[in-house]
Amino acid sequence: MKKVTMLALTATMLVTSLNAEEKKVEVQKGIKMPYMAFPMKPGKGMYSTKGKCNMCHSWGYVLNQGPQSKAFWRKKVIKMIDVFQAPIRNEDIDEVVEYLYANYGNGEEG
Amino acid sequence: MPMIPTYINPNYFSIKIDGEVEKPVKISLDSLMRDFKPVEITSVLQCGGNSRSAFHPTPGGIQWGPGAMGCAKWKGVRLKDVLAKAGLKKNASWIKFHGLEKPVYTKTDGFVRALELSKLHDKIIIAYEMNGEALPYLNGYPVRLILPGFYSDSWVKMLSNITVTSVKPKLHFMDHAYRVPDNDCECETPDNLAPKTKPIEEMNVNSLIGYPTSGTKVKQGTELIVRGVAFDGGHGIAKVEISTDGGSSWQEAVLDDGSQGPYAYRSFRYTLKPARTGTLTIMARATNTKGETQPFAQDVKWNRGGYKYNGIDEVNVEVVS
Repeated sequence: MKKVTMLALTATMLVTSLNAEEKKVEVQKGIKMPYMAFPMKPGKGMYSTKGKCNMCHSWGYVLNQGPQSKAFWRKKVIKMIDVFQAPIRNEDIDEVVEYLYANYGNGEEG
Repeated sequence: MPMIPTYINPNYFSIKIDGEVEKPVKISLDSLMRDFKPVEITSVLQCGGNSRSAFHPTPGGIQWGPGAMGCAKWKGVRLKDVLAKAGLKKNASWIKFHGLEKPVYTKTDGFVRALELSKLHDKIIIAYEMNGEALPYLNGYPVRLILPGFYSDSWVKMLSNITVTSVKPKLHFMDHAYRVPDNDCECETPDNLAPKTKPIEEMNVNSLIGYPTSGTKVKQGTELIVRGVAFDGGHGIAKVEISTDGGSSWQEAVLDDGSQGPYAYRSFRYTLKPARTGTLTIMARATNTKGETQPFAQDVKWNRGGYKYNGIDEVNVEVVS
């Protein structure tokens, strides 16, 4: 009799612990994208540039290009418009290029 | 510039196969796991721009050090078997792959990649497990295309659409991105860019020293075990050599047994005893079974994308008494 009680008790405990496990494992409804802050160098055109670039990608993508020539930055901005369809107006291109070159330039125009 | 879905319900996920096939099909994740023969492969996954920051002048693109790589055991099903379910038509010649990532603007080209059918082989799989677990979300959950030996631009994540075509598809991320000069040295200069380019595709032979790292202090006359990994596009590593005299002479390192297969990291180790105090430079150079080897860092030729860097790795340690 004692043995049976013990078995029953063990079984109950097992069921309880399984239930507890089940409660802990909630179906995950997706993930939160990891966020990394990439500060911009303050300068003329910073906010305008921030708005235009961050529409599609983090500032990290820009920093990741390394210091580059003015021609490089111009080409990149135009690529964003032509290839990736970034809604940047023609008259705003210069401001973005100037900001990028002034703050992330390599000193070379060409 | 992708919009990455932050939730995918595995119960409703499926891969759609259409185009030049006998019968367009949708294969659920469950069916992929139950109805196809599971296969496993250990393979290096490496960005084409790994070590890009070593190129000068600086090419655009993420300024990676040597860390844009990893090696994992992938489990999934053969792409060939999945295609057979739909049945390829006679005129099938290219396979397009698209995942659930979307561009920010609908007008922008999606990240679609393509493989020429003639390059299809048994080791190309659609993986649903990485190292014995479901793929981590940002590694492409729930399934990812695995192209062992090819750079990771081909390893489409969250693979949801496979479209078979009869002609080479025009795709931004095939025709304009991830390309190197189409010449013998795969090189060019900023002033004289190569007129023709080709996809980066197969990984070239490479090796990295993992230990010691530069700046490590080691003791004179005491055993130092240099360790690292070598890999290539799947031909297999034949040898890794170590030099401590700037590359004048080389000694063979000990390789692991190679049981992880030709697409995996081949680990190496080499024991040395630093004789003199001061800075000691240790270099590693891998050679594959085709006889291809790594150039000295200063001899690596430039390309505009900063792709396929495989210069001989070196670390500088401080030997103290």
